[in-house]
Amino acid sequence: MIDNLYNYYVVNRLHRNVRISVKEVNTEYSTLNLSPEERMTRRFEYLTSLETPRIHPLEQIVLTRNVSNLPDVLTEDEWAEIKKDHYIHELGYVSNLSPDYASTISLGLLKVRETADAYQVRMIDAIINLCDRYKAEAEKMGRADVVEVLSQVPRYPARNFREALQFFRILHFSLWLEGDYHNTVGRFDQYMYPYFQKDMEAGVYTRETALELVEDFFLSFNKDSDLYVGVQQGDNGQSMVLGGIDKDGNDCFNLLSELCLEASRNLKLIDPKINLRVSKKTPLSIYEKGTELTKVGLGFPQYSNDDVVIKGLERLGYSYEDAVNYVVAACWEFIIPGVGNDIANIGAVNFPAVVDKVIRENINKDFDTLIANLKKEITAECDKICESIHDVWFVPSPFMDLLRGGKKYNNFGIHGSGIASAADALAAVKKFVYDEQKITPERLIQALDENFTNDPELLHLLRFEAPKMGTGSDEADEMGGLLLSSFADALDGKTNCMGGVWRAGTGTAMYYLWHARDLGATADGRLAGEPFGTNFSPSLFAQIPGPVTDIESFTANDLTRNMNGGPLTLEFSASIFQSQESIQKVATLIKYFVERGGHQLQLNAVNLDAMKEAQANPELYRQLVVRIWGWSAYFVELDKDFQDHVMARQEYSV
Amino acid sequence: MKGLIFDIKEFAVHDGEGIRTTVFLKGCPLRCVWCHNPEGLSPKRELYLKQNGCLGCGLCRKPCDHPECQEIGRCLHICPKNLVSAAGVEWEAEALAEKLLKHKSFSNSMGGGITLSGGEPLLQADFCVELLTLLKGQVHTAIETSGYANAETFQKVVTLCDFVYMDVKLADAEQHKTYTGVDNKIILENAAWLKQSGIRHTFRTPLILNITDTEENLNAIKTIVGDSTWEKLSYNPLAGAKYASVGRIYGFLNNKMEWYN
Repeated sequence: MIDNLYNYYVVNRLHRNVRISVKEVNTEYSTLNLSPEERMTRRFEYLTSLETPRIHPLEQIVLTRNVSNLPDVLTEDEWAEIKKDHYIHELGYVSNLSPDYASTISLGLLKVRETADAYQVRMIDAIINLCDRYKAEAEKMGRADVVEVLSQVPRYPARNFREALQFFRILHFSLWLEGDYHNTVGRFDQYMYPYFQKDMEAGVYTRETALELVEDFFLSFNKDSDLYVGVQQGDNGQSMVLGGIDKDGNDCFNLLSELCLEASRNLKLIDPKINLRVSKKTPLSIYEKGTELTKVGLGFPQYSNDDVVIKGLERLGYSYEDAVNYVVAACWEFIIPGVGNDIANIGAVNFPAVVDKVIRENINKDFDTLIANLKKEITAECDKICESIHDVWFVPSPFMDLLRGGKKYNNFGIHGSGIASAADALAAVKKFVYDEQKITPERLIQALDENFTNDPELLHLLRFEAPKMGTGSDEADEMGGLLLSSFADALDGKTNCMGGVWRAGTGTAMYYLWHARDLGATADGRLAGEPFGTNFSPSLFAQIPGPVTDIESFTANDLTRNMNGGPLTLEFSASIFQSQESIQKVATLIKYFVERGGHQLQLNAVNLDAMKEAQANPELYRQLVVRIWGWSAYFVELDKDFQDHVMARQEYSV
Repeated sequence: MKGLIFDIKEFAVHDGEGIRTTVFLKGCPLRCVWCHNPEGLSPKRELYLKQNGCLGCGLCRKPCDHPECQEIGRCLHICPKNLVSAAGVEWEAEALAEKLLKHKSFSNSMGGGITLSGGEPLLQADFCVELLTLLKGQVHTAIETSGYANAETFQKVVTLCDFVYMDVKLADAEQHKTYTGVDNKIILENAAWLKQSGIRHTFRTPLILNITDTEENLNAIKTIVGDSTWEKLSYNPLAGAKYASVGRIYGFLNNKMEWYN
């Protein structure tokens, strides 16, 4: 049954034939001088009215978007006017939040409507109206089961697992249609568990039929996700978090968590993107289940370590009760569901550029002065970013506000891009220019200016024989630690324009390409324009002896003060996962990472040959999935520079 | 003392129990036609030239004054793609032990350890003894050997190991000489000793089509190994890729790739 749905939605994509595009609305709204809230509400009403119910005869979870575009509610001139006085984050619509779906699912929209404002009431009415039309379509098709579900939700509270899943789909669909993006899923296995458990205990489902329903539900994330485009196709933020501890410290991994891993493994789809929360208490068997999913090559689950993350979030001022409930935003930024209003990706420090500037300005001074000036420069760079962000304004989001219990946390996160490359450059300079005096400052600067064209020997030395993070070099790891702590120090105690704090991170997002493009050659032997490693990972040309050393290097420093997120990525040749024994060994490695105090880890099973083939014959590889920087995508849908970077990462084979 | 090592492989998932680090010792007295570690054959440091990606810039051929490059004949410190290297690094046993013990807590907690492989580790038996003595009691050790060494050498090394993987490739003496270049008499004697030694061990046979995987050979080996554990290893037909890197010719599977297709 699920194969049939998979072929319809994923392979043949027949549902896309009925899509309609929508004309512009902003000029009209502008002429009528409507308030932003009115515009958002009016657009929502308009778009829901355009939706035509389509139900696949075999699907259990319904609601598929037909409207292919979201016309902007503001005109270009209006945006320009707003931008005079305000900082606009990305597209200007709210994103990267983790809504509280559970409360609404347990109350029903009619109950929520009683305390909603006038705009929200209209939106609720619009979505109920659409659901009624779906119900009518189901009646016409003789789908009594769908009729029964839609007679209950979204008006009334979900009574069982299937109604809860359908209710979730309606809410999630509404958020996307409102224009919010990177709408995450949150701790799905926790807030859905009561419904699931009740039905399992009542014998409504067997393990198999429950899995089938979860798969049907998972497929719903992929029906219209091609319409939610981020920096690249696939960058859509549908992150689901499984497992983790509760406030009493109990590990919460349950049968539903297990079925989610299994559903993802069976479907091999890029959404939802699975995150697994683990800790010292996590038994090896859970890592083995996670590794079974890694094996299929989707680039997830991504692991985050409760022992480190919760402590780090508390240090930033999150209450224990909220911190213990953390989830991840679109990629890996740690956020709080329901009450979080953080902007976790508001800026990024280009560490290799900062270090390059400091090396050039201080190479004739002593090393201690260089380091002191580096700290000053990092502080200045952070100050510059912080000062540039004031009067942040978002287009109002009445529907999202319905799913939030306030805006308790208003913290801003800053990525730290290229930390490994920057640490490597510092370590190389310390070793060769200062300690060993093997390279004169003049020779170094000239080679950098000339992109090493006339000094291949120096290029080789810096690129392949210098200390690097990930290779077991204490010098490089120490420099990495220095950058991490200077970054945290620079943001410590600063308040942002929304009254929140600033968070230092280890992620790059797309900056591993963007920041690198305009940067000349650097002292780690990186050539002009060459990309950095993704997130908190070694440079692309570090000669890494193996994953154990790699892990030890990236867990050598305390990470609790750099808690905006950003994982170490390990790439494994797909051939390594061939036996149950090797799965267990990979699982053991992840456990080691967690026990060493790593904060976040991503593992990929990569097939380089398939990627090469896919570049040559994309039409034959439409389903080939790769992990990019914090999300997974279909390889052939990516721009070539993103493809090339994935292919250049060092992989571990057997 | 010093040993010559051509690779240290972390996270070797197929070289014994748990997660292991495998140390490859350079030099081997056997010349198995199917050998998949050609850079382990010569007991000397030698040029290892990766073929893929060479720009043909010629930088490595220009004379240099690095002492370590002279016997190699190419400059090891200039290739922009890092394709020019030397197979074979000299390690003092103490330094190597220290490096390997860095992962001690990991290896121990995860039920893994250190494996000596090659080449043929017994060709550097004294180095092995010194290294194994330094590792003794701190981390689980294993050895992968052809068993081709005199009894005294074989016994003094393997008694220091917690586990022994020993190859029995071909039971017939003539065949053994044809396909590996050496007689199997001392190998079989060492195997007999190992069986009754009380040392934990496993015998291994690489399955080479029409050579070692014949019914006759496997039946004969079965008799030789008796009650001991016996693993049959499938052969990777892509193993020939490294031959050109050390200037050797891979003749074995030429025109026979279809065997493995």
